[in-house]
Amino acid sequence: MAAEGMSPLEQFEIHRWVPMNIGGVDASFTNSSFFMVLVVLLSTAFLLGGMRRGTLVPGRWQSMVEVTYEFVASMLSENAGHGSRKFFPFVFSLFVFIIIANLLGMIPFAFTVTSHIIVTFTLALIVILLVTILGFIRNGVGFLRLFVPKDVPFYIVPLLIVIEILSYLTRPISLSVRLFANMMAGHTMLKLFGGFVVSLGLLGIAPWLFIVALSTLEVGIAMLQAYVFTILTCIYLNDAFHPGH
Amino acid sequence: MGEDDPRSSFKDMDARLKAARKRRISHPRQRMETRPLGIAMRLSVELAAGLVVGGVMGYFLDRWLHTRPWLMIVFFFLGAAAGIRNVLRAAEEINRAAEEGTEDESSTEE
Repeated sequence: MAAEGMSPLEQFEIHRWVPMNIGGVDASFTNSSFFMVLVVLLSTAFLLGGMRRGTLVPGRWQSMVEVTYEFVASMLSENAGHGSRKFFPFVFSLFVFIIIANLLGMIPFAFTVTSHIIVTFTLALIVILLVTILGFIRNGVGFLRLFVPKDVPFYIVPLLIVIEILSYLTRPISLSVRLFANMMAGHTMLKLFGGFVVSLGLLGIAPWLFIVALSTLEVGIAMLQAYVFTILTCIYLNDAFHPGH
Repeated sequence: MGEDDPRSSFKDMDARLKAARKRRISHPRQRMETRPLGIAMRLSVELAAGLVVGGVMGYFLDRWLHTRPWLMIVFFFLGAAAGIRNVLRAAEEINRAAEEGTEDESSTEE
């Protein structure tokens, strides 16, 4: 009871709720799946509920929905330029999914979907595949200009092309690790200091105060990381539209 | 206020809206990471990602071409170069954001 219940990493464990096996692949419905479904339901309810009446002068709820929309719309147009408008639904879904998942994780006993690298890596992979395919569709072979650096002597160009391609391939990793590491580190820290509060007794007031401050910071990070993920998606989309800047 | 022209306040608002839009467009690309921890994390992840991608790619190329361990060694260093390139690029970006932040004090959102 003591050692098992106190582990700060216990919160990241996956539990199979409804075991399923489809063609040899373990496709069980887990607590992670449950919270993903919950995130989708919550974001749908948030958006549809806010726009239910759609009044000219928005109420509080409608304002929140409109602010979210405006925020993502301006982010996309400022960073990805013209032509990117078609991908607004994708970018908006991504942003809403990540921010709701992050914020939902801040509720005690909730599972944080984005604290698992497989989830964030899949999201990043979707972004990178989309950008790569889109880049080739829109620019054909011209998309490869992205990998050819300008203003360098011709004899090191081949080497630099290899390095640029490797650097392009690191994008999904740095994109996903940043989100996952921030969420996991924050939640581990909260649990760790939560354990101190219990074990220190009266002196626990000090870590408790720290947790109050840390929780506020974590809410900020939850939103900031959703923002960072989305803005990087926009910047990468810009590469697909205008390679070679 | 005055009854002279009920639409004057709307006109005024239109002008103010336009001014506000112009102000917002004049400095796009907001801050990404300004916390020191965020910057440190970003740079280290960029560097490590380069090494990982280089190493993994070299490993699989080796398995495919049966050239163990040469390609892995080569790609490990190429990956390191890519990682350093990414770090430099990220640092440039952070610097640019910091400069823009100090230039216009008005944009202290949050």
